Amino acid sequence: MLDGLVITRRFDTPTWLLALVFLAGIAAGLAMATALLVAIGVPASALFNEVIGEAFMTASGLAQTLTFATPLICVGLSAAVALRLRFWNIGIEGQLWLGALGATAVALGDVGPEATRLPLMLVAAALAGAAWIALPLVLKLRLGVSEVISTLLLGSIAFLFAQHLLFGAWRDPATGFPISLAFDASERLAALGFGRTHLGLPIALAAALLVWFLVDVTRLGFYGRAVGENIEAARAAGVPVIAVTCAFVLLSGALSGLAGGLIVAGTEHRMSLTLGAGYTFSGIVIAFLGRFRPLATVVVAVIIGGVFTASDVFKVFYGISEAVVVLLQGLVLFGVLVAQFFGAYRISRANWGASA
Amino acid sequence: MSGFLVGWLAAIPAYAAPLLLAALGLILSERAGVLNLSAEGVMAIGAMTGAAVVLSGIAPTLGILAGVAAGAGLSLVFAIVVVVFRGDQTLAGLTTVAVGIGLAGVLGRDYVQKPFAGIERFGADAAPATGAFERFFLQQDPLILVTLVLVVAVWWFLERTRAGLQLRAVGEDPGTADVAGVDVQMVRIAAVVAGGALCGLSGAYLSVAASHVWVEGMIAGRGWIAVALVIFARWDARRALLGALIFGAAEALGPRLQAVGAPVPTYLMMMLPYALTLAVLVLSSLVGRRGTDEPAALGSIYLRQDKS
Repeated sequence: MLDGLVITRRFDTPTWLLALVFLAGIAAGLAMATALLVAIGVPASALFNEVIGEAFMTASGLAQTLTFATPLICVGLSAAVALRLRFWNIGIEGQLWLGALGATAVALGDVGPEATRLPLMLVAAALAGAAWIALPLVLKLRLGVSEVISTLLLGSIAFLFAQHLLFGAWRDPATGFPISLAFDASERLAALGFGRTHLGLPIALAAALLVWFLVDVTRLGFYGRAVGENIEAARAAGVPVIAVTCAFVLLSGALSGLAGGLIVAGTEHRMSLTLGAGYTFSGIVIAFLGRFRPLATVVVAVIIGGVFTASDVFKVFYGISEAVVVLLQGLVLFGVLVAQFFGAYRISRANWGASA
Repeated sequence: MSGFLVGWLAAIPAYAAPLLLAALGLILSERAGVLNLSAEGVMAIGAMTGAAVVLSGIAPTLGILAGVAAGAGLSLVFAIVVVVFRGDQTLAGLTTVAVGIGLAGVLGRDYVQKPFAGIERFGADAAPATGAFERFFLQQDPLILVTLVLVVAVWWFLERTRAGLQLRAVGEDPGTADVAGVDVQMVRIAAVVAGGALCGLSGAYLSVAASHVWVEGMIAGRGWIAVALVIFARWDARRALLGALIFGAAEALGPRLQAVGAPVPTYLMMMLPYALTLAVLVLSSLVGRRGTDEPAALGSIYLRQDKS
């Protein structure tokens, strides 16, 4: 039925076509999202005011957007770094949980002198995140186990581990809720004096610069591109494939762990069970829309942060569930997925009968 | 002790059935070569739709059917994106999860946390049971029997019918199936949609039969367990039944132990299904590289003119 058209891969898609289908996909996704929001009762004019006006043009809204964007930058970078090697890190949330737990362990255990407490917390977060992706990495390299499933499974295990601690040993005895004790002042990232933004924002930006330098400037990045394009060719050309893969994937885990550390040290100031939900998908969306480029990832992360801010407004004024955030991201990604087909393939009329 | 044991065993089917239904759906899709991560979202839309229909005053049976239809509908979108538009199956699956959870949350805002009379257990209005078998049986519901029938039906369809053979051929070697006259794209779309119907049924079971209420986040990771269960079962419906019972038993054990006051690390025990699946993954790749039961064309994009 669907064989009336001949579909052939384009080996060299012109840049203008790539850009065109990409933008068309985003536009289609946004159109679907707009139609849906209007259908459930948000006036179209309010939509524009809420998203653009409230999330980016007011000081309080912009501060909120940048606060949301801080961990989003890290998870977006995490997904981008791994996807450059076509390594699907679907366990971003798991590494984020481990990062948050690592930072919390340092804070609650009062490890080291107060002066080095915060740096130590963030290092612990990054190391915990990297450690959590190490097993899927080893399984993939040694046994060929699909990282899609193993990172996913370890993500669920990490969340259960967080629940185990917060319903047990780490629970703040003063409350009935699964939250840890609040951190001391020396264990909190300093506020920037602009809404709830904190030192995590410059740290995330520095991480983006570092990742950009690593993957776009250095020899490691060059090798990474070779491995991502064609692993067999890279191996034949003498690229140290194993070492490069380890470096990229562990970096991805560390960035997700850092996101968890920044959330507990910068925004929450304690460990909780609500701080990590939804970051895997957001990270992948951000990486994908940022075309796996570190600096573009920052821009997309801020825009997605704006969607989070706007969703708070939708919730308060129109009673719309915060699920709208994940829905908007999903619709835009569907739009791009479909649109990319027209960039990746050439479509022409079939004539199977005559040629076969 | 025997009281605890019967209570535990009686609770297992209600935990196992939704996992099993979703896993059967994913098996249909993946045996046709379409890697399917979408269960969590498809179940969410099924659960919400089922509850919304019943809350609108329509019979629970029709609520279940509405959940099935909603699951099939969302899966049709996923199928079109990956089969017709050749979208990346991993990414499209994750996106379907997002859209399913998002739609359920946004469209279901008027139905949250409103209890309703759904499908009852057999023992709902019977006298308290005395015998162990009776106590077990009265804890079950009609959909658990339907689930058992569906296990047999899916296995029989895949292994004993011509259409099932075509479906498996498409998942193993789409190029050869195409030459043999099988419409690869239509088979894949049909398999994904049928699988989505089963995932929708699984979601509707959770709201209409198991809880009689719908809340956001109700699926709570069961869709991901189903994805794991399919690998655990190595894409075989019979082993999926066995796996679902093991996973369900692990899930049911924590609450039962708590009910009798035993101190148990509930959350560590809930890791069991995931750890088991990881172990199965590792073992199957140790035995035969890449696990010989995995459909050979799983996750690949089929273009007729590609040489394989």
